[in-house]
Amino acid sequence: MSSRVGTNVLSFLSLAVLWEVAGRAMNSTLIPPLSQIGAAWWKLLSSGKLLANLSMSLTTLAIGFSLAMLFGIVLGLLMGRFRAVEHFFDLYVNALMSAPSTAFVPVFILWFGLGVESRIAVVFLFAVFVIIINTMTGVKQVDTVLVEMARSFGAREREIFFKIMLPAALPAIMAGLRLGIGRAVKGMVTGEMLLTLTGIGAMIMQYGSSFATDALFAVILTVLMVALLTMKAVHWIDRRLTGWKAEIAVE
Amino acid sequence: MRQSPANEGPVQNVQTVQIVRQPVRSSNALNELNVSNKWNESNSLVEIQAVSKSFHKTVKEQTTEVRALADVSLSIRENEFVSIIGPSGCGKTTLLKMIDGLIPCDSGKILIDGKQVTAPGPDRAVVFQAFALLPWRTVLANVEFSLELRRLPKEDRTKTARDYLRRVGLADFENHYPHELSGGMQQRAGLARALAVNPSILLMDEPFGAVDAQTRQLLQEELLELWQRERKTVIFITHSMDEAVYLSDRVVVMTPRPGKVAEILDVPLRRPRVSEEVRRDAKFVDLTNYIWESLKKAMENH
Repeated sequence: MSSRVGTNVLSFLSLAVLWEVAGRAMNSTLIPPLSQIGAAWWKLLSSGKLLANLSMSLTTLAIGFSLAMLFGIVLGLLMGRFRAVEHFFDLYVNALMSAPSTAFVPVFILWFGLGVESRIAVVFLFAVFVIIINTMTGVKQVDTVLVEMARSFGAREREIFFKIMLPAALPAIMAGLRLGIGRAVKGMVTGEMLLTLTGIGAMIMQYGSSFATDALFAVILTVLMVALLTMKAVHWIDRRLTGWKAEIAVE
Repeated sequence: MRQSPANEGPVQNVQTVQIVRQPVRSSNALNELNVSNKWNESNSLVEIQAVSKSFHKTVKEQTTEVRALADVSLSIRENEFVSIIGPSGCGKTTLLKMIDGLIPCDSGKILIDGKQVTAPGPDRAVVFQAFALLPWRTVLANVEFSLELRRLPKEDRTKTARDYLRRVGLADFENHYPHELSGGMQQRAGLARALAVNPSILLMDEPFGAVDAQTRQLLQEELLELWQRERKTVIFITHSMDEAVYLSDRVVVMTPRPGKVAEILDVPLRRPRVSEEVRRDAKFVDLTNYIWESLKKAMENH
């Protein structure tokens, strides 16, 4: 573990040094040195502009992802449990899973207008399918021996679902949520850039078109940090819920 | 307590061993055996009557019918330890699942205490070959699982589960997860889970098939000790001849697919059985050899 952190730090530092040196050597606005980006980031932070936009973006993210999580897990569980439900939905889920979700942005504008509802819908759409598919796969891969064991001890359908299927599928569900939160961040920025210029997306568009590359990179790095932190958060919850699985993997 | 037939076995210093074979009943031979049937039915706890089972197997869109069991009849007395031995694929596990009520019979029926089996019931508990422990639960919580399904209050569950963990020698491991235990210990937990619901019939599906030889022998000894104390009726599936002979009152030899009862053999060994002594006993050696020959014959005739 500690050697991994060490390697991470080394990787980060060498990239930072390379960036700084390259930026200074090229002396171009296209690649500003890292120190200049840092300064721009500090300015955005202390003016309150970054945090105001960030909180707006994160609210959209939270609502959209929560809905995707709720809907995705419930539909995924039903599809995994009941053949009929799976056959009813799997075609659409698989098609939408691989379709570029951006193509649906104009549809959302027509349906929900240019407000926050559309941006929530984009986040939802980006995240939901990977959650559905992972949950369904998790339920379908439950060891039949365990189900048979429960039945043999007199478990009813309800008990088989809640005491066997759900906990057995939990690692797969959590993996779906980890992938889902990453996609949700993409959806958040895409929505803000293509729909209404608000939040982080608006800042990216604004600084991009006005060649303020130092501020642009500062915002992009912030988005990367948000993506990384949200994924770490889901990973942390995952480890608490399915610690038994992680221990098996370590062995 | 009634004596099992093995306890009144033949006199010890007889040199040549008589293999005691019992008539194999099939539905069309039922009439000839009326007398012994009457005795059996009044004494038997598990009555398997002319049971058959087929499965449909689909390979490359071609559905074929596989006959797993054909016309199997067997009656098992209360407190008896019966092993069912046969080559892989002879339907022994299928038979066990039917006794448990997990799968229905195609024809024939299974009676327990005179009542037909239609579903799993509290009078039976299974010890599974692959342990079937829940990996996300501790050993204690795994044993509590069977009691949870029986709606026992929480304190009683924990108390009972701890009691049975102690009996199988896992008292110090209650907070471990299954993957932290050896195969032998995992199966001890599986045994504790089954015993905890206090079933009158213990159904064991090659329970020691997945552990190493030394552990296996140890587990056999422990099982006999437990059985001596708790006096359950045990139906034990195995493909090990010496395991069957060492443990059982009677050994049922089955033919390959479709599984039929080839013969039923009495085990004339005194109880309590001490592993080292029993394995050197001429009767033990002769009987295991006899079963080996019987299995070979069944395979050749197939």
